[in-house]
Amino acid sequence: MADDYKPPALPAPFTNTRPAPELLTQGAEAHLYKTVSLDPSIPAALKIRPFKPYRHPILDRRLTRQRIIQEARCLAKLVREGVSVPGVLALDWEGQGGDEGGWGGAWLMMEWIDGPVVRVVLEKWEAWMKKNASSLDSAQLQHEEARVKDLLRRIGKTLGALHKAGVVHGDLTTSNLMLRTPPQVSDCGPTGVSMEGEIVLIDFGLASQSMQDEDRAVDLYVLERAIGSTHPRSEPLMEEMVHGYRESHRGATSTLKRLEDVRMRGRKRSMIG
Amino acid sequence: MIAIGMEGSANKIGVGIMLHPKDGSPPKVLANIRHTYVSPPGEGFLPKDTARHHRAWVVKLVRSALKEARVSVEDVDCICFTKGPGMGAPLQSVAVAARMMSLLWAKALVGVNHCVGHIEMGRLITGATNPVVLYVSGGNTQVIAYSSQRYRIFGETLDIAVGNCLDRFARTLHISNDPAPGYNIEQLAKQGKQLVDLPYVVKGMDCSFSGILAAIDALAAKWGLDGEERAREDVAETTSEEAQGEGSGRKPSRADLCFSLQETVYSMLVEITERAMAHVGSKQVLIVGGVGSNERLQEMMSIMARDRGGSVYATDERFCIDNGIMIAQAGMLAYQTGFRTPLKESTCTQRFRTDEVFVEWRDD
Amino acid sequence: MASRLETLNVPHLPAALPAYVVLYRDVQNSAFLRQQLLSGNKEYEYAFIDASMVLSRAHATAGIFRAVNDYMNERLKSHNVHSEIVFALNPANNIAESFRKFGITDSTKDLLVVKVAVSPEITHDSVAAHLEASVQGKPVPFDDETLSEISDVTKIKKVFKLGALPSPGDKTNGAQNIKAKRQLELSLLSAIALRGS
Repeated sequence: MADDYKPPALPAPFTNTRPAPELLTQGAEAHLYKTVSLDPSIPAALKIRPFKPYRHPILDRRLTRQRIIQEARCLAKLVREGVSVPGVLALDWEGQGGDEGGWGGAWLMMEWIDGPVVRVVLEKWEAWMKKNASSLDSAQLQHEEARVKDLLRRIGKTLGALHKAGVVHGDLTTSNLMLRTPPQVSDCGPTGVSMEGEIVLIDFGLASQSMQDEDRAVDLYVLERAIGSTHPRSEPLMEEMVHGYRESHRGATSTLKRLEDVRMRGRKRSMIG
Repeated sequence: MIAIGMEGSANKIGVGIMLHPKDGSPPKVLANIRHTYVSPPGEGFLPKDTARHHRAWVVKLVRSALKEARVSVEDVDCICFTKGPGMGAPLQSVAVAARMMSLLWAKALVGVNHCVGHIEMGRLITGATNPVVLYVSGGNTQVIAYSSQRYRIFGETLDIAVGNCLDRFARTLHISNDPAPGYNIEQLAKQGKQLVDLPYVVKGMDCSFSGILAAIDALAAKWGLDGEERAREDVAETTSEEAQGEGSGRKPSRADLCFSLQETVYSMLVEITERAMAHVGSKQVLIVGGVGSNERLQEMMSIMARDRGGSVYATDERFCIDNGIMIAQAGMLAYQTGFRTPLKESTCTQRFRTDEVFVEWRDD
Repeated sequence: MASRLETLNVPHLPAALPAYVVLYRDVQNSAFLRQQLLSGNKEYEYAFIDASMVLSRAHATAGIFRAVNDYMNERLKSHNVHSEIVFALNPANNIAESFRKFGITDSTKDLLVVKVAVSPEITHDSVAAHLEASVQGKPVPFDDETLSEISDVTKIKKVFKLGALPSPGDKTNGAQNIKAKRQLELSLLSAIALRGS
């Protein structure tokens, strides 16, 4: 499947980079690479929004530029507000270079976050529990549940900090939440899955600045749905995320009220042919 | 087995006859005819006029379809009709005809979801096995992918359909509705060169068109490009000096507006389709619905798909634009799994989501 | 004594375009150096940066990267890549202001000097020799430890409008101090990256 795919040429200046940036993922709009930062001893994440040849070039530049700047601005703001997100190291919204010698795509270089995404953490934990939960005694079960609850509460708290800073993520899934590996891990439980470390929010490609309850509630709802569909065992513990969120900031109460409305109506709308 | 399909959810009434050979060889289209209700320039089609049109044409169309298919009524297994979604009065007029035929000839009724009809016909004609489907018409804008016996909606319009946006702008410009407003916008857009800035509204896999329509209507009014008078100049304008210049400084023309509208809305559609493809990991795209016959949309989609190492499947206007055969095809698939619509339940509904249908005939 | 002049190969920039960097303390002839700049003396085409406005190596490197990247893409806002480095350190889009705030003044004591190898005759040796003959000051290591003694954090925060951030000032609380400095540094880097957006 993937072998007939050739990623587009890197924009300037990354044609110089040795060793060449390593392609990690290819999303719809952006390619994510691992490379070094401006300090050769420190790694960095490089997000490239390549030229989209299907779009009119003027429209393409306008959108790509707007979006990469929007993403960088959100990250910059969140760093200033002390919310844990990868910091912006360098940026080029003009994106010269590439194959045609002109517009090759805009790019954003960010701090590299060491650690797994929460999706993987929960998947590993759920897989272990599915196989071995019966071998645990009730104290151990309780302990395992408490660890997941704690993780979800910390996620809620981080989302509260995000919203308090005036940013909504726009695409919250457990793949966009990372767990920064702490210097030492003290508790992996019998499952061997660590849940320690700071929660770091990543991929602000669809983020925007908003203080509206509706936008915030949709953010939470989207994550709830994502957890519900991918992590069934963790879903009953979801209330913990809401608790963590409620305690995080003043505006949380009205957002959570709105969340109830959003849950009721869902994203579903009826339609007219 | 033979199915008759009856479609009339919007301004087209279509009758199709489909044969599914008993030996398992590929289904055959025996007849696929339709008649379109065309409203005057500057006007849309109203439900009651459209329903009147359908009532006037339905008997004639069924007769010619049977004649063209060279089948007799005895050979027919089921009567399939569009249950929804669509405009109420036109849907009803065709449902009444289908019911009447079912009672008259003692044939089973099969109510079909219009959108599923498009998808199944698209799959049959193009051979796409499990594509991401972009369904774009005057009434619908959805990005759909199949998963465990449902056609799931990954993204959709948050307000009006893309085709509705195009149709209504055609009215603003008093562009002819014959054969279709979107077709005439496409022709005019071919002369456009200058890209006018319009809102571009994509939210994840959803999109919105009402703001774009308001913005381009306002631009047309501002530059005095709307209305009947200017519509007469469309032919003359292309030869004038003014329209020949490519510089972005000159005043946009009617053609430029059509061009900009197409470039903007189709980019949005390709973008949300690409996001859905990345999400579900599919490399096939199937475009269905009336807007799917637009060649610029097909071109943009194929560039996107090519860059992802995939391909686009599109059908021509016979199957893209609303038709009876797609209703026969989707109805037949359901009929073969034992699905029937009892007379009592043979109602129709304006609202009928694609993901409400249990797709029993697929098990992948 | 071997020259303290460092050859800085910033990753991603072409190897043929290294920057030569040296940090001086206790500079005696700032007025002279500034005069050479003002009179457009080509011999003195350097980025002369008031080192008290530089928080860290990463901060200086981000400015160099931004300027050289803009230079390669032919979108300099100022005369040459060296003035552009001084401009790049400034978060606002005002060139004159960036020189007042980040450039050398007559009273500058701590000076960061950068020269980019934009033509073949600019080599480590040529730059080292010229600087040795021209700058009256004490070369010190260009590292974060030395810079932490030099940088005026309050002034930097003010220029970047980051007054609300915690100051990494005193060294009483190690972990917190490191965190505050990192937050400030990342805020500077994003401001440099986003300038003009």
